[in-house]
Amino acid sequence: MFGFYLSQLFNGITQGSIYALMAIGYSLIFGTLGLVTFAYGDIVIFGVFVGYYFYAVLGLNLILAMLLALPITFLFGVLVEKICYEKFRKEARMLMLITTVGFGIFLRSASQIIFGTGNKSIPTLIEGKIEIGNLNILYIQLGIIIFTLIFIYALRYFLNNTRTGIGIRALSMDQDAAKLVGVNVDKSIKFGHSLGVVLGVFGGIMLGSFYNAISPMMGPNLGLKAFTAVVLGGITSIPGAVIGGYILGIMENLAVAVFSSGYRDVVAFIILIIVLVVKPSGLFGKEVKF
Amino acid sequence: MAANIFEKIITNINKNKLKYIFLLIIVLLILPFVVENQYVLHIAVLTLMYVLLSSSLNVIVGYTGQYNIGHVAFYAIGAYTAAIISTRFNLNFIIVILISGFVASLFSLMLGIPTLRLRGIFFAFTTLGFAEITRLTILNWRSLTRGPFGIPGVPIPQIFGMRLSTNTHFYFMIFILLFLMLLMTYRIINSRVGRAWISIREDEQASASMGVDTFKYKIMNLMYGTFWAGVGGAFFAYFAGYVSADSFILDESFRFFAMVLVGGTGTLAGPILGGAVLTILPQVFRSFARYQMIIYGVAILLIIHYKPEGLLGGRTFKRDLSESEDN
Repeated sequence: MFGFYLSQLFNGITQGSIYALMAIGYSLIFGTLGLVTFAYGDIVIFGVFVGYYFYAVLGLNLILAMLLALPITFLFGVLVEKICYEKFRKEARMLMLITTVGFGIFLRSASQIIFGTGNKSIPTLIEGKIEIGNLNILYIQLGIIIFTLIFIYALRYFLNNTRTGIGIRALSMDQDAAKLVGVNVDKSIKFGHSLGVVLGVFGGIMLGSFYNAISPMMGPNLGLKAFTAVVLGGITSIPGAVIGGYILGIMENLAVAVFSSGYRDVVAFIILIIVLVVKPSGLFGKEVKF
Repeated sequence: MAANIFEKIITNINKNKLKYIFLLIIVLLILPFVVENQYVLHIAVLTLMYVLLSSSLNVIVGYTGQYNIGHVAFYAIGAYTAAIISTRFNLNFIIVILISGFVASLFSLMLGIPTLRLRGIFFAFTTLGFAEITRLTILNWRSLTRGPFGIPGVPIPQIFGMRLSTNTHFYFMIFILLFLMLLMTYRIINSRVGRAWISIREDEQASASMGVDTFKYKIMNLMYGTFWAGVGGAFFAYFAGYVSADSFILDESFRFFAMVLVGGTGTLAGPILGGAVLTILPQVFRSFARYQMIIYGVAILLIIHYKPEGLLGGRTFKRDLSESEDN
């Protein structure tokens, strides 16, 4: 029995890593654009499908196909920014919010037609497992956790030590002031947004590879989870997003262990409501007005 | 009393508009007698139902500016409440429809209390989540909802011993519901409460500083809008005779949202036009049925890019003070 909970905990950490990646991406987008997006989950799933397309239809090597998907989704992010945000940066925020809703609907239904509504299976990127007592640890789980940590540290380095990264951080603090000290606002917004998208897609690929299944219908749910993780951690805080992601992943899997798997997706929602009631600024966030 | 109110309404609407309203009502009343094709009549019932649902969303999105993108949840709650009650108890359908509306409204109260104190974005995301949770709960709570099997055999509504089972009967049923809804909403919008709602949409801070209890009015607004969504759901349960979770996926929410935006937020006429156009168009081009949701998505994008106030829109979007401050 204890072994069962332990393996659920380990599943939770794996899934938490994935949510953490998506939450960082989400938090980056929030930082650069100053608002939430409703299309995030759909964009992420679309990116994973691009990789899947390279693999299943063009017959490329699985890892190569997934790696190729990343630069393509980066460019796709630029396009999304152009359609949904560019024109509305100085206008009422609600307009951008609505365009992301519209774009999400469009992308999800387009993906359904291009890729089909059913689940598509992605083979595991890394095969094999280790057994410790009665605890099974898949290599893919270790891979996900390690990759996530590498990504987080690389991103930290990028945001703190490179010119572009510092520009993005400046932007998220104060757009006008950033402009005054010479940050190219337009370029930084596009770069920050696309980087957020790529992080999400990387998380999505890990998710697909862990569950061996992706479907265009997963989008809104993934977006909701990334949002929950970000709100839980404090919406402007990147370390907060990471911790929020891990907490969400672990809670979800423990809930599945205790109750039933049908209620997996309810956990994120309950956490979201509790955070909003108890501490809307999240665990590590400053008081922000939305 | 009734005549008094009616007089007041007529004097408030300008004469020219009144002519069109009467014309529309007459056309709608004659329609079921002229049209013999049952399929067309069926679509007419659905169109009026979608107009009712998008109008109920417009109360929330258009008049108070709270972005409820999970409206389908309240529609689903209404439909399931009606199906559960009417298959277990022998109640008149009018009472069942009323109860369904109140139940939906009650759920919105529970959702509104934690979220409406915060700025709109939290509310928007929570409603989206709530729609998914509602659907998942319906699928999993088998003892109450029969899970994936749905609830068949919703009894045929009866009034004065008459069985209401044809498309024409349902047409008049939804016509009366829609008429009541629009009349009531019109009265509220032109009252103190309605002005409070609009002031919240225009600038919440300014409105609060003028002494409007914004939280209270937002809750009221949400409960009123979702009441009608519940009523629409109950009507759907009777009309279809069967409810299942498949009818209440998120896409349905986005459909209402698109109808409101395309028609024009914050006017009574907007959702009528939007609901009618976006229900009838996909039926006309039925070979494009697969592309229906794509059309909705593109419609939203185009409207926001080129005519953000909607086809008949009555509001302009502007960045308010509190928004520019923290950016």
